[in-house]
Amino acid sequence: MKTFSKYWSIFQITLINSLAYPGELAGRSLMIIPFMWIFYQLWKVTFNAAGVDAMNGLTLHDTLWYLMLAETIELGRPPIARTMSENVKDGSIAYILNKPYDFLLYQFSTAMGETIFRAMLNAIFGGLTVLWLVGTPEHPEGFLIALPAILGAWVLHFCINAMIGLSAFVVEDVSAFTWIYQKFSFIFGGMLIPLDFYPQWLQTFAKFLPFSSAIYGPARLFVTPTTEIFINVMTLQLGWIVVLTFLLTIAYRRGLTQLTVNGG
Amino acid sequence: MKELKFLIAIWQTNLQSAMEYRAAFLTQVIGMIVNNFIYFAIWIIFFNKFKDVRGWGVNDMYVTFGVLASSFGLVSLLFGNTFTLSDIIAKGRLDYYLSLPRPVLLHTVASRTIASGMGDFLYGFISYCLSGYFTWDGLARFALAALLAATVFGAFLILTQSLAFWFGSMSNFSGLMLNAMLTFGIYPITLFDSYAKLILFTIIPAALMGAVPAEFIRAFTWEVLGQLLLGAIGFLALAIFVFHKGLRRYESGSAIQIEI
Repeated sequence: MKTFSKYWSIFQITLINSLAYPGELAGRSLMIIPFMWIFYQLWKVTFNAAGVDAMNGLTLHDTLWYLMLAETIELGRPPIARTMSENVKDGSIAYILNKPYDFLLYQFSTAMGETIFRAMLNAIFGGLTVLWLVGTPEHPEGFLIALPAILGAWVLHFCINAMIGLSAFVVEDVSAFTWIYQKFSFIFGGMLIPLDFYPQWLQTFAKFLPFSSAIYGPARLFVTPTTEIFINVMTLQLGWIVVLTFLLTIAYRRGLTQLTVNGG
Repeated sequence: MKELKFLIAIWQTNLQSAMEYRAAFLTQVIGMIVNNFIYFAIWIIFFNKFKDVRGWGVNDMYVTFGVLASSFGLVSLLFGNTFTLSDIIAKGRLDYYLSLPRPVLLHTVASRTIASGMGDFLYGFISYCLSGYFTWDGLARFALAALLAATVFGAFLILTQSLAFWFGSMSNFSGLMLNAMLTFGIYPITLFDSYAKLILFTIIPAALMGAVPAEFIRAFTWEVLGQLLLGAIGFLALAIFVFHKGLRRYESGSAIQIEI
């Protein structure tokens, strides 16, 4: 319990810190507004051109709310890999590693502290924009049902990003890996196009990957909150969390043996 | 001529500095090319299913994305500080450039190279070659269009970031404008109605970075070339005017800065 309270305190401190500059916090979240507007233009034209009300179970209305949640998850997460890479480059990792807490749990607590308000504001601005464009979501309760999957998505993002960040122990600059990870999230996570609109073979492949558990799953659950989808999303997500946490722990232990800190 | 020599000398120094970390430089260049290819796969998937958006097909996307990437890459490579100008102004780091006998704006923005820009720049040409519109005179138009689009983009960055002279650090606002420019530039212009198009030619001139250069590359017309030239010269003149107007208000705490 005492161990848990330590990380809870770190989480709380970061959470409060993230509120220190509310203007900055709000400013960052405004980007979701033009994104949602442009998605509306794209999908309105596409649905009209296709001459259908729904494609693979998603209407224009569902697609917009789906994209709103997908963007909220993506834009809400902090740049963990970059932070860890900076820690390695400037030597400050030496001060973090010798503190009486677990390095990975410390990073997780701070990442979650930074995520909460950032994601909330994105959801508010994005939600208001979509509300204005297409009206209320068909299943507002879907947000509560998708909440565990949203939290799971952040855990998954953390595991993958932390692994990229740990590669800084070897290569120092991780920006190329973060770009590529982000683009895989875009494609296999269904961030710009819902996976349901992909060709069947690509859908089957993409839906099995962790990227879909981190974006598509929660967003689809939000617009179609059925028991079946809930069970599918949560089962796959938990499976990936277990696998990736295991891999992250191994990567961390191996990374420590290769770390060289010069100065700091 | 003197300023051109000065610019070339700065770019040589920047390149030498970037090449000091050869592996990191190459990782960033190759990483950015791969990154752009992966991103573009989304559009291939989209157009594979929906064929076209009001007459705009995947081949048009190759050209638009290509010219946008090359112009973005050119600004990142040659004028990397345009992305952080507001921070430089707000933190008093213009002192260093003001104390030297060279044009302040030119010296400031050219003093940094973003290595990944080389990846963007090269990717743009690859994208054009894959578009199905490739011809040799088209390639020459691509190079000219990328140059003019880069001028508009660089000028737009200087304009938005120079607001820091009046309002302090504008990193959030300028980040927002940068993202808006890239996002609107990349989407098919046929999506937008006339009001939105007016915005995309003026307040956020994304059309002058994506759709208009792409139109010029596909087929030469004096009218489109005129639009591009007018946009590039107009925005550059406005950016220089606003920067110098703001510079008169500039003050710093005489902090000691070391420029690396």
